[in-house]
Amino acid sequence: MKRDPTGFLKKEYKELVEKDLDWKLRVLETGSTPHAVVDGKEVIMLCSNNYLNLSNHPKLIQGAIEATKKYGAGSGSVRAIAGTMKLHVEVEKRLAKFKRREAALVYQTGFAANAGIIPQLAGKGDIIISDELNHGSIIDGVRLTKADRAIYKHRDMGELENILRDADKKYNRILIVTDGVFSMDGDIAPMDEIVKLAAEYGAMTYVDDAHGEGVIGEDGRGIGSHFGIEGKIDVEMGTFSKAYGVVGGLIAGSQDLINFAYNKSRTWLLSGSHPPAVAGAQLAAIEVLETEPQHVKKLWDNTKYFKKELESMGFDIGESETPITPVIVGESSKAKELSNRLFDEGVFALPIVYPMVARDKARIRTMMNAGLTREDLDFALEKFEKLGRQLNII
Amino acid sequence: MGSKIGFIVNPIAGMGGRVGLKGTDGVVERAIKLGAKPVAPRKAEEMLREFISHYGGGDKIDWYTCKGKMGEDELKKIGVKEIEIVYQPSTENTTSDDTKKACKRFLKRDVDLILFCGGDGTARDIFSIVGKRIPILGIPSGVKMHSGVFGINVRATAKILHDFINQGLTIGDVEIMDLDEKLYRQGKWRIKLFGVAKGIIEPTYVQVGKTSFESVSEDEIREELSEHILDEMEQNKDCLFLMGSGGTIDYIAKKIGLENTLLGIDAVYNKKTIGKDLNEEKILQLLDKYKKTKIVLSPIGAQGFILGRGNLQLSAKVIRKIGIDNIIVVATPSKLAATPFIRVDTGDPDLDRIFAEKEFIMVVIGYRLRRIVRTQTNKF
Ligand SMILES: Cc1ncc(COP(=O)(O)O)c(C=O)c1O
Repeated sequence: MKRDPTGFLKKEYKELVEKDLDWKLRVLETGSTPHAVVDGKEVIMLCSNNYLNLSNHPKLIQGAIEATKKYGAGSGSVRAIAGTMKLHVEVEKRLAKFKRREAALVYQTGFAANAGIIPQLAGKGDIIISDELNHGSIIDGVRLTKADRAIYKHRDMGELENILRDADKKYNRILIVTDGVFSMDGDIAPMDEIVKLAAEYGAMTYVDDAHGEGVIGEDGRGIGSHFGIEGKIDVEMGTFSKAYGVVGGLIAGSQDLINFAYNKSRTWLLSGSHPPAVAGAQLAAIEVLETEPQHVKKLWDNTKYFKKELESMGFDIGESETPITPVIVGESSKAKELSNRLFDEGVFALPIVYPMVARDKARIRTMMNAGLTREDLDFALEKFEKLGRQLNII
Repeated sequence: MGSKIGFIVNPIAGMGGRVGLKGTDGVVERAIKLGAKPVAPRKAEEMLREFISHYGGGDKIDWYTCKGKMGEDELKKIGVKEIEIVYQPSTENTTSDDTKKACKRFLKRDVDLILFCGGDGTARDIFSIVGKRIPILGIPSGVKMHSGVFGINVRATAKILHDFINQGLTIGDVEIMDLDEKLYRQGKWRIKLFGVAKGIIEPTYVQVGKTSFESVSEDEIREELSEHILDEMEQNKDCLFLMGSGGTIDYIAKKIGLENTLLGIDAVYNKKTIGKDLNEEKILQLLDKYKKTKIVLSPIGAQGFILGRGNLQLSAKVIRKIGIDNIIVVATPSKLAATPFIRVDTGDPDLDRIFAEKEFIMVVIGYRLRRIVRTQTNKF
């Protein structure tokens, strides 16, 4: 048979375009700043994960520059061979201290952390139990294992317990994996209950705190601190790419966990380590969190104000408990239109539509930023109100 | 060009219910004598109105229907002007024969979907003509609605139609079930599985990125289920496997390379079919012979029954002998979306209660992937 070896590339792309499922990339001409220039237009940024605006913090920029000057642009190797610099080790020590855990390990990205460590924690004869709305990188990590998998309804502890009860007799290891803060709705996993249930059945707990770190808990220490269960979650996974304002994945927990993780995670072992600039900025980010509590406070002040105003305008803003605030509008087409018109008016917030959320629960997802002023928020709110009325949402 | 919809109303469906008869097939005169009023025309109209008022979508549809009470009247009432009449019943009192003849015309016109208003009997008539060639969507109205072709209610049906026309839904297998009416009138309640038709189902999406999803076909998922069951068979070499009935199990069995009876129970040992379309007695004989048995079942029909609908060979005695912990339930997520409970009706109240008290059952929905589903007995 004579086959067209690459014909599928064009064909599948075309299909995506026809179904309007392709990504239309928006290009930033500024940094990820509270007022950013996107595709040539100045907008208020309501869809970055740069919650604390740390990516623009002078100390982080300084940290990156100094590390580059001192140690160069690249690290030269994978961590395991010759790519572990003193700077990398220092980040991990500081991170462990900040998270109040025995030890920590930095991965290239959060995705690499999930895809690297999860498959090592459970294998044949074990079971991984997941919340149905877990992030794609967890799902991919889970797919790489030979373990059985079970899914419970979003945050449903009754289902989780039933699965545990069933699994108790049948499996060796049991691993419960959940997002800490769920990025679609902004709700929080009941980690205190999960830890309790896990203890009852001898299960391991793993939380992806990507949207909780730097946001919830004391000075942004994350979900353990938020629930007052510090040190009780077996694996606290997170990322430097969101509130920390840099890039990089992380896990924190016992020294045993870290020893195990860096010897077994293929993503960690087989991929180059962070350039010094990244490590330098990470170190500065941790220091800022430890010494400048005003950013987390500002993030929450902004969040509370924004939610309160949206609600009083009559918007349905769901059950969010975090700076992720969904504005639920109904039909997908409506959400897309609202997003487009907001953009035209200078507010950048993305629509989330079916199948990411139920067909009648399409929404605009907003993410608060500590760098936004009250005036900025009022500007955005005014646009929401105006367009919400025009589109018969409120 | 719009979607071509074949629309058909069984004007006498649902009449038996009002007067305490299950179904109207063969008992119409009695029903009318007892004062039964037509239900289907009203339900059909209600659904069409709901559809038009919510979605306005008349212009996207080319309607094909039957003269008078069998569809034309309802479409006219809601203001549809362009209708093509494909069939005219010869007498005032329509019969199942009219439904079948109309369906032959629908086949000729190559309609995309048959939308009907009636019960299990009507679904069966349509299926007997169109088989798996045209998907079927039922507006609930008959007394018996065990088949998987019905929307939950009029409103949901309107939404399914809308989503189908706008390409939001896909085509999948649904079971055609009906009461064995003859036995019923002798006082026996027996739901039979008559076949597997095409219906409209929710597509299953898998997350491929944080905010991007890909819809996967039913077959891809059923392939995963096959792999899962194959693993089970390979890991339990000394175990007899009974394969239940319905489209999902049929797909799995064939994928593994087994012969399989779509509407019956087969026995497999060492990945070979050793018994086909077994009755209760034969199953019991096998259970005596083999020490360990697992049974693979999938929900059949609209209400999520894994036992008691379309597989009465799997009697309470059989199930007790196998042990309920040896039941492997498989289902595609689309199927589960339509049947949020797993139900049993074994005819043995104690056994039914054991199921109910289990509260939940782990259902295999992918390769080594399970989901927890609540159990219920037939009281609903
Ligand atoms: C919940 C969650 N986990 C993991 C990740 C991946 O993190 P990273 O961007 O560091 O790869 C993200 C972000 O995309 C996320 O939202």
